Amino acid sequence: MKKINWGYLGSLCISVLLAFAIGAVILAVAGFSPLQAYGAMIDGAFSNARHVGDWLEYAMVLCLTGLACVLGSRVGIFNVGGEGQLLLGAVAACQVGVWLTGLSAWIVIPAAALAAMAVGGLYALIPGWLKVKVKVNEVITTIMLNTIAASFCQYLAKGPWKNPNKNMVAATAQLDTRYWFTNLIPNSNLSTAIIAAAVITFLTWYIMQKTSVGYEMKLTGQNPRFAFFSGIKTDRLVILCMVISGAMCGLVGMFRVYGVEHLYRSSISNQYYFEGLTVAMIAQYNPVTVIFLSFFFAILKIGAQGMELSAGVPNQIYLIIQTVIIFFMAAESGIFASLRAGAMRRRARADIRRKGDESHA
Amino acid sequence: MDEIAVRFEHISMAFPGVLANDDVSLDIKKGEVFALVGENGAGKSTLMNVLYGINTPTDGRVFIKGREMTDFDPKTAISMGVGMVHQHFMLVPSFTVAQNIVLSREPRKGKVFFDNAAAQRKTRELVEEYGLEVDPAEPVEELSVGLQQRVEILKTLYRGAEILILDEPTAVLTPQETDELFAVIRRVVREKGMTVIIITHKLYEVMAISDRVGVMRKGALVGVRNTSDVDERTLASMMVGRPMLYDELEKTGAPGDVMIQVQNLTVRDNRGLTAVDGLSLSVRAGEVLGIAAIEGNGQSELIEAITGMRKIESGHVTICGQDATGLSPGAIRDLGLAHVPEDRLATGLSRDATVTDNLLTGKQRRPEFNRFRFHQRTSTIERYARELYEKFDIRGAGTDVTVGSMSGGNMQKVVIAREFSFDSPVLIVAQPTRGVDVGAIEFIHSRIIARRNAGCAILLCSADLDEVFRLSDRIVTLYEGKITGEYTGPYSKQEIGLGMTGARHDGKEAAS
Repeated sequence: MKKINWGYLGSLCISVLLAFAIGAVILAVAGFSPLQAYGAMIDGAFSNARHVGDWLEYAMVLCLTGLACVLGSRVGIFNVGGEGQLLLGAVAACQVGVWLTGLSAWIVIPAAALAAMAVGGLYALIPGWLKVKVKVNEVITTIMLNTIAASFCQYLAKGPWKNPNKNMVAATAQLDTRYWFTNLIPNSNLSTAIIAAAVITFLTWYIMQKTSVGYEMKLTGQNPRFAFFSGIKTDRLVILCMVISGAMCGLVGMFRVYGVEHLYRSSISNQYYFEGLTVAMIAQYNPVTVIFLSFFFAILKIGAQGMELSAGVPNQIYLIIQTVIIFFMAAESGIFASLRAGAMRRRARADIRRKGDESHA
Repeated sequence: MDEIAVRFEHISMAFPGVLANDDVSLDIKKGEVFALVGENGAGKSTLMNVLYGINTPTDGRVFIKGREMTDFDPKTAISMGVGMVHQHFMLVPSFTVAQNIVLSREPRKGKVFFDNAAAQRKTRELVEEYGLEVDPAEPVEELSVGLQQRVEILKTLYRGAEILILDEPTAVLTPQETDELFAVIRRVVREKGMTVIIITHKLYEVMAISDRVGVMRKGALVGVRNTSDVDERTLASMMVGRPMLYDELEKTGAPGDVMIQVQNLTVRDNRGLTAVDGLSLSVRAGEVLGIAAIEGNGQSELIEAITGMRKIESGHVTICGQDATGLSPGAIRDLGLAHVPEDRLATGLSRDATVTDNLLTGKQRRPEFNRFRFHQRTSTIERYARELYEKFDIRGAGTDVTVGSMSGGNMQKVVIAREFSFDSPVLIVAQPTRGVDVGAIEFIHSRIIARRNAGCAILLCSADLDEVFRLSDRIVTLYEGKITGEYTGPYSKQEIGLGMTGARHDGKEAAS
């Protein structure tokens, strides 16, 4: 971990540049000036403090969800169910705030955070337990549980926990304003939640990279049989990591409610966990890389929205660029391995020829 | 007799990062048994894979019976009369012998339908022609390993092979089966004029079967000799490139208390069949108990059950006087057991982790490696890993590289270093030198005996009978999950070979 993986960094930069180049071609074909569009993108992200706040908040979401995914993959379990855990955490945290209305924020906010983590964690326990005890593929269970969670939250928001205001469809009651997280940049999404997020990010990184538990997690993910053989309680570790991963997702849901929306509705998360998961995959599950890439993609996304407003370019260009980067990063190992092998073969052949010439001479 | 069957001219074969064959020129005569020996990674299999068309050489030319090989693929090689029997058999278990033999060149009825009768007839003709007794109608999965190998040989003969390559053919055979194989080899060479190339690293087999022997080291052919002109010691020195000392291992001390006690143990294998059947054994402190068995007779399951890696159906395991039945591997290790597993890549190592991380495993919670039992003391850990690296003579690019990049022998030394450094009173050692080169074998053997002399109770399991003979104070033979005999030295290879095939020590045939 002390060493920087230059090969990976190089591939990433090349992938990003190629992605922008391909994006430029598409823009040009569609009749936009690529330079102008990219200019508008940078403008959209940085020209306005509100936008800066928005992408900082979005980066926080990507970073926490991405790390939640990394945490699972560290022990060899692929949590695809973060979206459901996030939604359930959000709705639970929101309703706790509604129920406890009148109490001090010092009670309500911790209670809501605990509720969000408990609900997200327990919801992740289901696929974790099934994977460890009966070897059910967690990817399938978590994807299905996502759908169940989304529908269930929608039901709560339309039914039992519905907003008393008749004009609000599919939303829960709003939180009392004194429980709202303080806004750090006026009118933006950025709230004090980012401080908590920074602490959680640091802790996650620290535990994974610097502790004996993190070491055991890594071994379990690399070779579970070896980890079990060496005496590590792998089943417990896998379930624990899955639960923490779910709890982190639940907490992100709470941050979205208390920091931005102040009530639960489905726009709390627009498949944000999957964007975080994408970041984790591009980062090859390296926590530090996840942090940096979260900022990069957040800037890109908010910038693309600004670009749409000012230059009229559809912000889907963001998706194109993101997808192309994923494509190249996925192909990276194959492409680079074959290039390297080719170079080595040529060098070996040259060595043999040279040796032959020397011995003939 | 001096007709050339195969000629290699300046063969070089480069893989990314390694030169597996370095300018090898070699003539193999028609009608001889040629043994190719060398340490692991010396390039023997690479060279033979060139001949069989699996590898395309980076440089050089190959002639078979005077004709140059232009295309390197197995199809061409087979059509030129080359046949190869790999270490791992390539047979379809549920097919009959005849079906396996004709596979890819099946006799047909009306060009469409498989003609089973013709396949059986052709197989029977082959069997009679070469005197390789085997029932054509028997499914391959019902056959012993030795007979399966015979089917492989028949398959190459069916395809018209005149040059037969055998890659480590005796690795999976009992002494009796080895003798039978050698008889077969002699017959096909003498009566049919075939050329046989045998890859091996068992030197006494070279002496027993071959006419000439070629020694490879680090990709180069370092010498070709008439077998009658050399002895095992000379060959070993040629293989490792320095004089070999076959030190007699000095065993001291007397056996102490019983440290491993297994009582009426029954264990199932992965398919749910009984693999260990009511087995009992015990190992004392300062004693090496060797298990001699052909692969698949329950030795792997026995060891997994003792170490907590496999569920125990019934019976008891006691380690250091404490009940270990049904405990987790971690809890059993806490009782004082360390374990070198038979498959280092699947069980014994994490190939993506560094050497340091692999050496630390199992000790990561120790106070000396952690502040507050939590925060890893990186520099202490690294120093500890470097000490073990030196002490166990691991040779590679240091402790920071991933284990997956090391050679098999060095990987095994990493496992041995880690497990032996627990200084545990009980040690389970399975296949300690599988795929390990000669120099490292000596080192590993001396380490095992050092632990024995220090009073450790050692249960040894190895497919290499010579290793079992060399290290054990006592040997038990295992057949179909039952102990068929117990032996103390001096051992008789024939007697133990019989035990391994199910004949009881008292002379009676074991059940089934």
